[in-house]
Amino acid sequence: MTIVKEAPAAAPNVVARKLTYVKAFNEGLAQAMREDENVFVAGEDVAGYGGVFRMFDNLLDEFGPRRMIDTPISEAALVGLGVGAAARGLRPVVDLMFMDFIGVCLDQIVNQAAKMKYMFGGALSVPLTITTASGAGLGAAAQHSQSLEAWLAHVPGLKVVMPSDAYTAKGLTVSAIRDDNPVVVMLNKVLLGSTSEVPEEIYGIPLGQAHTARQGSDVTVIALGRMVGEALAAADELAAQGVEIEVIDPRTVQPLDTETMFASVRRTNRVLVVHEAVTFGGLGAEIAAQIQDAAFDHLDAPVLRIGAPFSPVPFSPVLEKAYVPDRARIAEGCRRLLERS
Amino acid sequence: MAQRASKKSADPAANQESAQVVKDLHERMVRIRLFETEAGKLMEAGRLPGFLHLYVGQEAVAAGVMAALRDDDQITSTHRGHGHAVAKGVGLREMYAELYGRVTGACLGRGGSMHINDLTRGMLGANGIVGAGVPIAVGAAFAARYKGEDSVAVTFFGDGATNIGAFHEGANMAAILGLPVVFVCENNGYAEFTPQSGHMLLTDVADRAAAYGMPSVIVDGMDALAVHRAAADAVARARAGAGPMMIEAKTYRFYDHQGVKGLRHPYRSAEEVAEWKARDPIDLLEARAVADGTATRAELDDVWQRTRDEIAEAIAYAEASPLPDPADLLLNVYSG
Amino acid sequence: MTDVAVEVLLPKIGLSMQEGMIDEWLVVTGAVVAEGDALLRLATDKVDVDIEAEAGGIFHPVVPAGTTVPAGALIGWLLAEGEQPPDPGGTPMPAGPGAGPAAVEPVRVVAASAVPTPSGAANSPNGSAAPRGADGRLLSSPNARRVAAAADVDLTAVRGTGPGGRILSEDVEEFLADFPRGLVAPAPPSASVSPLVRKLAKERGIDLSEVNGTGPGGWIRRADLEAVTPTPAPTPAPTPVRPGAEPQAGDVLPLTGMRGTIARRMHASLQEMAQLTHGYEVRMDAVVSLRERLKEEWADGDLPVPSLNDFLLKAAALALRRHPLLNATVREDGIHLLGDIHLGFAVAVPGGLLVPVIEDAEALPLPEIARRSRALAEAAREGRISPALLEGATFTVTSLGGYGVDFFTPVINTGNVAILGVGRLKDGVEWVDDRPVRTRVLTLSLTFDHRAVDGAPAAEYLRTVGELLRKPLRLLV
Ligand SMILES: Cc1ncc(C[n+]2csc(CCOP(=O)(O)OP(=O)(O)O)c2C)c(N)n1
Ligand SMILES: [Mg+2]
Repeated sequence: MTIVKEAPAAAPNVVARKLTYVKAFNEGLAQAMREDENVFVAGEDVAGYGGVFRMFDNLLDEFGPRRMIDTPISEAALVGLGVGAAARGLRPVVDLMFMDFIGVCLDQIVNQAAKMKYMFGGALSVPLTITTASGAGLGAAAQHSQSLEAWLAHVPGLKVVMPSDAYTAKGLTVSAIRDDNPVVVMLNKVLLGSTSEVPEEIYGIPLGQAHTARQGSDVTVIALGRMVGEALAAADELAAQGVEIEVIDPRTVQPLDTETMFASVRRTNRVLVVHEAVTFGGLGAEIAAQIQDAAFDHLDAPVLRIGAPFSPVPFSPVLEKAYVPDRARIAEGCRRLLERS
Repeated sequence: MAQRASKKSADPAANQESAQVVKDLHERMVRIRLFETEAGKLMEAGRLPGFLHLYVGQEAVAAGVMAALRDDDQITSTHRGHGHAVAKGVGLREMYAELYGRVTGACLGRGGSMHINDLTRGMLGANGIVGAGVPIAVGAAFAARYKGEDSVAVTFFGDGATNIGAFHEGANMAAILGLPVVFVCENNGYAEFTPQSGHMLLTDVADRAAAYGMPSVIVDGMDALAVHRAAADAVARARAGAGPMMIEAKTYRFYDHQGVKGLRHPYRSAEEVAEWKARDPIDLLEARAVADGTATRAELDDVWQRTRDEIAEAIAYAEASPLPDPADLLLNVYSG
Repeated sequence: MTDVAVEVLLPKIGLSMQEGMIDEWLVVTGAVVAEGDALLRLATDKVDVDIEAEAGGIFHPVVPAGTTVPAGALIGWLLAEGEQPPDPGGTPMPAGPGAGPAAVEPVRVVAASAVPTPSGAANSPNGSAAPRGADGRLLSSPNARRVAAAADVDLTAVRGTGPGGRILSEDVEEFLADFPRGLVAPAPPSASVSPLVRKLAKERGIDLSEVNGTGPGGWIRRADLEAVTPTPAPTPAPTPVRPGAEPQAGDVLPLTGMRGTIARRMHASLQEMAQLTHGYEVRMDAVVSLRERLKEEWADGDLPVPSLNDFLLKAAALALRRHPLLNATVREDGIHLLGDIHLGFAVAVPGGLLVPVIEDAEALPLPEIARRSRALAEAAREGRISPALLEGATFTVTSLGGYGVDFFTPVINTGNVAILGVGRLKDGVEWVDDRPVRTRVLTLSLTFDHRAVDGAPAAEYLRTVGELLRKPLRLLV
């Protein structure tokens, strides 16, 4: 059963206050645990310590060791535990501290969680949520900085969400937990302390529904995760130069709301896709392909992709800064798309 | 078939050790200690980017094992790898330069703390993925035997790492292939903030060796000489073709899991920390050396002073080193 | 690849083309060409263009390069593997009008999609003709093509401002702002058509845009053609004009292409008409000072400041409304007074002269005339003007003032009855009482066809023009 209740954000009786991304995640998780007794959390240092990123602060106090489980460093067993428990009707939330660690448990995610419903002829569901911290920008180097959404979005049976601010961190987490499929929630490490308005009550954000974060007529910028904020900053800069860009936050990369993108592209005729992951084989490639397929006749320029170069994430801050796309590169890309002689 | 060795505590007959070995161990430990305390200070001063898992308190393990190795013996390390690198002889300049993200660093500024390596010293790399170094050491040992060399491979890992599949698969693989690998578990009692009792039911990690038909030995990880003796045995055994063996060194980290001071959540009691600090591995060795006349206080102090100077010089070198050029972002992604 | 011999016929490009010279075959005999490959470079009276193959096949020319043939003549074959040309004797040879063997019943295909030659060609004066990719392909964005198709804009006439000269939708929109109508770009048959259906439609004279496709996504099937009664073949694609090369002493300039047309037309004009010319001096002071004011007040650039010639165009057009006799054409059955006033204006281009047309000029406000005359002249000089924009003038204005000429005898364009020449702006003198006052004047040279217009009405017309120029505010709107 999937209940999706979008926040009545506009309603006056909803109390919204500024909350950090990590607190918003924590609040959504706690509310989802209150909502459904079958939700439990397992992971390394999630209970006693509250998570190395403070994602699970205070949850042990409220929910006790029955529902907050510290596990050994055994990611394959951790995800497998979630798969088995989900198959038996629970709604596990398992935490992979860093997204890079999916390398040691990929089988459970890709071959087990993702395919189980299908292989069982639909007889069961795997309402598993995997939370994990992704992204570069903290000098965490090659094995602690990756954005691997493209790996997962490629696997039928999985869903992948990428919260871009505190509001989506809460709403997408709640929807992920309520969803009857395995959903990977890719939190962004750099955004953990960022704040935005977050309603107090529980709310879900529909999976597979993109959000137009800013309207504009000149270029459509489709940005994933942290790049949404960068795109909005670029939009401010460009607006001062008379260029209005539209910023689309897909929020969910699997399923992907391409209709919103197509509609925007038909108006702007120019598209830039930006993500932190390496450009080659990234979501940008998929989005570009779909746009040329559905809206080819509306393009005035080839779809432009901005992503990381084809290299591991470098450690040295000078390299890392050059590696990760930012507002300047987005603005420059938009100008390039609009170039006329 | 490897025999199951009964666990034995270290034999306290340390007086037999030559003064040479004691001085070697002392020097290696002091180097590690000063490297780490200075790195910790630099990090707290905001001068070093990224994560830092410091080795302070565990020096006896790296020193004891490395003193039993040749340059061509290979090691694989962990996220807490500075001590292993220093003890194996990786240059302090290159290490600090790496922590600073300079192009003169051990990874050309690309890797940072968790990826320091030096092939010329047989250091096959720290590792950001817990347990990942274990199978790599098995492969290094395989290569040595394949090429007809008599070098061995040593893999370091924590207590927490023995819960991950790579450890178990690597141990069984080394055992069944009879490879010259020494498994060194540095049991500091914690995996991040979880005590050993919270992540395994065993008291001794060494018991896990039995599951793979591998002999094991437990040593006091604060006693450099004890570690060294056990390592020398295991290395000799492996070099002789008798297969892998595991050493469990009971030790303790004086700093927090990451950085110097833990910011929150007292997961270790003050008494526990104090108890272990009272058994500081360097103090223990120095006390014994002075007591049995292996070294004078002045000689020992001289080591500290010389090392301090060397560390200061290495830091100055790192700070003066150039940053990598962003134009070289694609460097070394592929060979050829 | 064809499964039956396909004739390649010389396409008729633009309304007035009668013949064309095969400047160069772009593929060798026996080469396998695909549909859309450039087959030959064609020189006509107005344009030099590359002609694309309408079907695939093994190419077999019927006439050698350098031959001039009438539009519609057989010039080659596209054959199937192992197939011989229907006329065994039809190896390369000069072919006269109507030449064309009929040994088998061939599918008739007019090689009609014209593509201008690449801008890198040696005879391109400024290299800035229509935007081309390195392979000579017209660079245009999909959205530009969509917008152009919806508005019937011929992209070859549009100047591209995107990277590498790619035509963008903005370029098309700006082009449309300049030329809201009067462009005859035949809507290309819908993309959802197989080459075979396209071929059959051509053969039967069916306009594919009228056909209801019943296949998936509107795909036109062969059966859909059966439901349609043939309509006349669509107008061939208009093509841009290419200016000729800079002549040098010792050259022999062939009387072909644009040069040939000019020669033929001018000669025909003087042979068939009874032409004579009036000279008439007009006062320009008011126009000159109005222009000075406009230059100041419109300095922000939103409105183009009309040139002297623009004032003359507008005055000439308005005066025609009052003197319809000069806006006429002489046919066998009499003098036809024309309802529309479409003004041609002569633009010197390398190798000759082009006369772009501003339609309904008398109804356009002066800034609009200025905008169009500028855009048309630029397009003509850059060799990317659509032939459609060179058709249909009912009256022409030509200026030699810029060359210092005061008075001349312009030659009437065939089909018109008059042409207005504009001379140099110069100082004149007017006596106010006993004092000489400096004025600004120029001389108009009106050539008219005495068969249709007598001297007095011609003079009346000139006087009207002169009056309008004395009170130029009327011209602004
Ligand atoms: C596969 C994997 N899971 C989790 C982590 C995060 N992590 C880094 S160090 C660590 C604890 C390791 O404990 P232990 O092996 O005992 O080594 P110690 O830190 O005590 O030296 C954890 C969980 C990781 N780096 N890799
Ligand atoms: Mg440990």
